[in-house]
Amino acid sequence: MNFSFSDDQILLRNSVRAALDEQCRPAHVRAMMDDARGYGETLWGEMAKLGWLGLPFAEEYGGAGLGLVELCLVLEELGRAAYPGPYFASVVLGGLALTEAGTAAQKEKWLPAIASGTARLTAALVEESLDWNPASTCATATRRGEGWTLAGVKRFVPWAHVADAVLLPARTPEGVSLFLVDPRSPGVSVTPLPGIDVGSRWSELRLHDVAVTPEAAVGPLGGAGSILEALVRRAAVGASAEMLGAARRCLNMSVDYAKVREQFGQPIGSFQAIRHRCAEMLMAVENSHAAVYYAAWALDAGAEDAALAASVSKAYVSEAARQVCGDAIQVHGGIGFTWEYDLHLYFKRAKALEPLFGDAEYHRELIVRHVA
Amino acid sequence: MDLNYTPEDIAFRKQVRAWLERNLPREPIRTLAERRVWHRRLYEAGYLGMGWPREYGGGAARPMEQAIVADEMARANAPAPTNSLGIGIVGPTIVVHGTEAQKQRYLKKILTAEELWCQLYSEPNAGSDLASLKTSAVDGGDHFVVNGQKIWTSSGAIADWGLLLARTDAAVPKHKGITCFLMSMRQPGVEVRPLKQITGSSEFSEVFMTNARVDKSDQIGKLGEGWAIAQTTLGYERGGRSLARVTTYASQYHRLLDAARRLTRHGRPLIDDPLVRQKLGRIWAELEVERYSALRVLTQLERGEHPGAGGSLTKLSYSEFEKRFMELAQEILGSYGQLIDGAPAEYQLQIDTAVGENGTWAYAFLWSRAGTIYAGSSEIQKNVIGERILGLPKEPRADRAGAAR
Repeated sequence: MNFSFSDDQILLRNSVRAALDEQCRPAHVRAMMDDARGYGETLWGEMAKLGWLGLPFAEEYGGAGLGLVELCLVLEELGRAAYPGPYFASVVLGGLALTEAGTAAQKEKWLPAIASGTARLTAALVEESLDWNPASTCATATRRGEGWTLAGVKRFVPWAHVADAVLLPARTPEGVSLFLVDPRSPGVSVTPLPGIDVGSRWSELRLHDVAVTPEAAVGPLGGAGSILEALVRRAAVGASAEMLGAARRCLNMSVDYAKVREQFGQPIGSFQAIRHRCAEMLMAVENSHAAVYYAAWALDAGAEDAALAASVSKAYVSEAARQVCGDAIQVHGGIGFTWEYDLHLYFKRAKALEPLFGDAEYHRELIVRHVA
Repeated sequence: MDLNYTPEDIAFRKQVRAWLERNLPREPIRTLAERRVWHRRLYEAGYLGMGWPREYGGGAARPMEQAIVADEMARANAPAPTNSLGIGIVGPTIVVHGTEAQKQRYLKKILTAEELWCQLYSEPNAGSDLASLKTSAVDGGDHFVVNGQKIWTSSGAIADWGLLLARTDAAVPKHKGITCFLMSMRQPGVEVRPLKQITGSSEFSEVFMTNARVDKSDQIGKLGEGWAIAQTTLGYERGGRSLARVTTYASQYHRLLDAARRLTRHGRPLIDDPLVRQKLGRIWAELEVERYSALRVLTQLERGEHPGAGGSLTKLSYSEFEKRFMELAQEILGSYGQLIDGAPAEYQLQIDTAVGENGTWAYAFLWSRAGTIYAGSSEIQKNVIGERILGLPKEPRADRAGAAR
């Protein structure tokens, strides 16, 4: 039994933190708000060079062959920095899906390109209904010759405007199947859906008679359900890690502020109303840490309770992070409500991740199915 | 990071489980004498005082082994041993701060439950502000004379001895004038009155000391060191019951699920009601998080690190969780949850709570109110977390500088 990180894992976390402290300061996050693409190519290149973009892929595909625990360490740091960019979309959604279900040719084509930063992938997992259950898919794929024609509308597709390929489920006679689509293909339109977290770019993806080749299919026809279930499970834990990072940043900022901000002639941190709130925030953050890394380990190890742990993580951390980041604004008072102060960057990142890959309610229902 | 149990731990768990299958009392334990017999059997098997040094009768076991024994006992719904304060607090205090003579005199009999112990800390006017305690110990030559009143003394009614905090110097600031003693409860100057709680039972007592006597040889540490000693010993037992606690919660939760399958609203079983499912899902998520956190604390203990103020996070988290859990149990069970006797078997808890032996939901519900008060209320824990972990400034206090009175 060992719930602590190895020396290598600590080294990884420290190097990610150091790089982001240097290259992903709040000023960078703010600069990217007005950038059309929304992320910095210099930092992206650095991420490729440092091996973060290929972290979970096998070495034969230019990856580092590391697990979900390591990936979560990186994602926690990205949340802590409110990193704007397609890391999650490309590495977690695109990369892990292909790792699990891609053909040898698909892996060879895409994984090294993701790892080197030359290609960006994403996945379109929800439609109008916002249902994360793949069975809710309405988009269709109709046979045309050897290939298919796709039609439908996907919403909240992260970083689709810069993606080279989008993984998406569509209904075929065999059931719901997965396809890899170039968003620049004829018949695809990409419309931004700007949200409160400008560092998370979403789009609507409209597919109007989009022709794809037979090689576009990912996994067996009708097999999207189990592939996406496994992907959403990992993505839910990854999103939890990122929320954890944002929450810890908010906690640290609150504690630092409570030590120096004086009212009634004393630091506000000396008042129990503030101190107790900070203590509750720390409890929520530490519990979230346990939830995230237990789930990450369980998925890596193929533990019996891995699926349950993933749902526990997303159900718990979604609400804990919301509470902690919100409490941080409250501790700060007026300054925390200004655009100029950085707190809202992390508050909004946690909020943006809250509904993704199933919100707390979605996962609580899954938990009860496991237990009852 | 590897959250698998080692082959040694798995083998040890099997061994404990097999022992419990062979040795678990067939009949419920009703008397103290019967409990002492059970205690003695556990001790002889090496399952008590496991973390104590070998030279004083302990097993020098790893924290994980201690946690596994407690966990397996919870799984088997085994009766608790007795003398929990003796083994958890008093013994370790004597091991660290006692003289060799004190160790020889007291330790073995704590482990065997030949002598039962209580802790004489809280007073009517010294609860969260424990250091303001007023019970006095006055030098009487070869002994001290003790006068005062203690309250919330668990096991007070059955204890032979008590670990006492008393004021030996009222002229110095309050934290500096307290001394720690071992006091016989079996003497004319000590009167114990059971304290009836909201549960209707009396796990606690009030203790009145009128010219009670403590030999000078029974002073622990130096004069005026009592506060510091009490601080170091408060956290000794943390972690040992961490897994067991969650296992008990899980057993209780499954009993609750059974009830939710039988009970209906508007003709529909509660277990099929999405609102109830949401609440059940939330509690199970929190329960699992408690389990993960317990494993995290055990990792620290296994590495020889003391969680220190981190213990406050653990205690705050599980005690507040337990209240939420029991509130939900009441919500689902409705009036069944309030029955103190005669509940149909389907709506009985049938699982011992950590302290009480009364396996009703009503008892467990009422008892959950105690957890956020005893051993440092949630408010005190949050102060400790804020000051000692987060480094937030202390609240300006009126009582730091001056004399105790």
